[in-house]
Amino acid sequence: MTNEQTSEILLEVDAISLSFGGVHALVDVSFDIRKGEVRSIIGPNGAGKSSMLNVINGFYHPQQGTITYQGQARKQMRPHDAAAGGIARTFQNIALFKGMSTLDNIMTGRNTHMSKSLFWQALHIGPARREEIEHREFVEHVIDFLEIQSIRKTPVGRLPYGLQKRVELGRALAAEPTLLLLDEPMAGMNLEEKEDMSRFILETNDEFGTTIALIEHDMGVVMDISDRVVVLDYGRKIAEGTPEEVRTNQDVIDAYLGVSHD
Amino acid sequence: MAFDIFLLEVIISGLMTGVMYALVALGFVLIFKASGIFNFAQGVMALFAALALYDFLAEDGWFFAVFGFTLPVWLAIPATGLIMVVLAWVIERTVLRFMVKQNEIILFMATIGLAFVLEGLGDILFGSDVKPLDIGIPQGASDWLLDNFNLYIEQLEIFAAGTAAVLVVVLAIFFQRTRIGRALRAVADDHQAALSVGVSLDRIWVIVWSVSGIVALVAGIMWGSKSGVQFSLSLIALKALPVLILGGFTSVPGAIVGGLIIGVGEKLAEVYIGPMVGGAIENWFAYMLALVFLLFRPQGLFGERIIERV
Repeated sequence: MTNEQTSEILLEVDAISLSFGGVHALVDVSFDIRKGEVRSIIGPNGAGKSSMLNVINGFYHPQQGTITYQGQARKQMRPHDAAAGGIARTFQNIALFKGMSTLDNIMTGRNTHMSKSLFWQALHIGPARREEIEHREFVEHVIDFLEIQSIRKTPVGRLPYGLQKRVELGRALAAEPTLLLLDEPMAGMNLEEKEDMSRFILETNDEFGTTIALIEHDMGVVMDISDRVVVLDYGRKIAEGTPEEVRTNQDVIDAYLGVSHD
Repeated sequence: MAFDIFLLEVIISGLMTGVMYALVALGFVLIFKASGIFNFAQGVMALFAALALYDFLAEDGWFFAVFGFTLPVWLAIPATGLIMVVLAWVIERTVLRFMVKQNEIILFMATIGLAFVLEGLGDILFGSDVKPLDIGIPQGASDWLLDNFNLYIEQLEIFAAGTAAVLVVVLAIFFQRTRIGRALRAVADDHQAALSVGVSLDRIWVIVWSVSGIVALVAGIMWGSKSGVQFSLSLIALKALPVLILGGFTSVPGAIVGGLIIGVGEKLAEVYIGPMVGGAIENWFAYMLALVFLLFRPQGLFGERIIERV
């Protein structure tokens, strides 16, 4: 949590509107994410938070607005371009490769960093083999960092929920992301697991300087770890600012208490 | 002793037929593993590959008509491989691309359509008569085995078994140890998650359909050399279904073992049970066995365990 006011903007969403048929998931939403900050997106259920993340990493294509990432403006992202550009993410409902081991799951995170051609890989010799070993080393660092050494070879389908969440974070970290998107990283966790996860998120931010955008419902966690917060309600941005500013904002309080919209 | 030799011959000939089934089943497994699609067109792909290969080699084909010469075998096989890669690319562009995120049953239906298109195309381009395919694989019984052990085994079948073994080893390494292999398994497990780590679905699908097209080529060569290139080849695809149920839809070794069990099982059943019920067991034995497996072990011998959390 360094002083963010001076640092440059990593990602800017400008006047994004997204609808599915007649449902307006996002309406004219603009905000930015500065390099090195922890930016939280909060809001009641159905506010459009997950849609926002999906727009940023290219799963959804907004009808209007632009996304500027690392100085490059575009109408829409494509998922594998986003990944290649250093945007990694986790999912609200864990999306791991269930049949694979923890290690293999995290190795897939290295995908964008591996470059040896299909030809070498098919032969499984020379450069491709060296490359595998190199990346395996990095993955072991991630495993140590997240303290999941003991489940290295376990198929992730067998792991308890909290650990699956951690493996998913590991896969995202293995990509050495510039921007890390976390969709409810603490959903369904007990207090201890939440504390662990908060610690990992903050350490990632501190040690690697990774910029983090996260969606979270636990207000205690959000207020603790965020540098800035943006609040969505019914697809619109209703407030933005430091945790303190947002906490005292009347619109935000209304949205959470369910004041009628008329 | 004569009886034992006979039993041995039945088993070995069953094993060899099983290898042939396994070669077809292998192509199914690859596509199923990487995309969850049961590719109904796999058998037709084998037929198409064999037809194309024949065309490069024979003097009554298109290639000869256009260029005035035929290709030698060592060139014709890679050329056919190239055609299968192009075919994979065309399939991705014209069919699969528009079906991402669709239900598996819809993708399956699309491959049924694809099977008919390919079969029709093969008929139009190459004609539907039976074509002898000779790429120089030795034919007839192995003299050495006949002389030394009094065993009658086709050389072609030994050759096919060796080829299948090499294919399995290569594919196993490819799937388990390489980035692309991991990406393939990732796509099979979860499309969205695979996209989020930067796997390009389009590319992966072209790769996997290419690889299974090349496996189809190998299967087409073996079946074509054995019984000529004919359209009934596409029906072998149906025999691959019980093989897959036995072996597990997602397992490369499973396809092989499943193929062998079916091959041996149906030969033994034909010889020893057949006379009791009037014969022709060979045609349905595989499906009965598959039915039993579906009741007791639906994931197959080597399939991924079905883990259900409640």
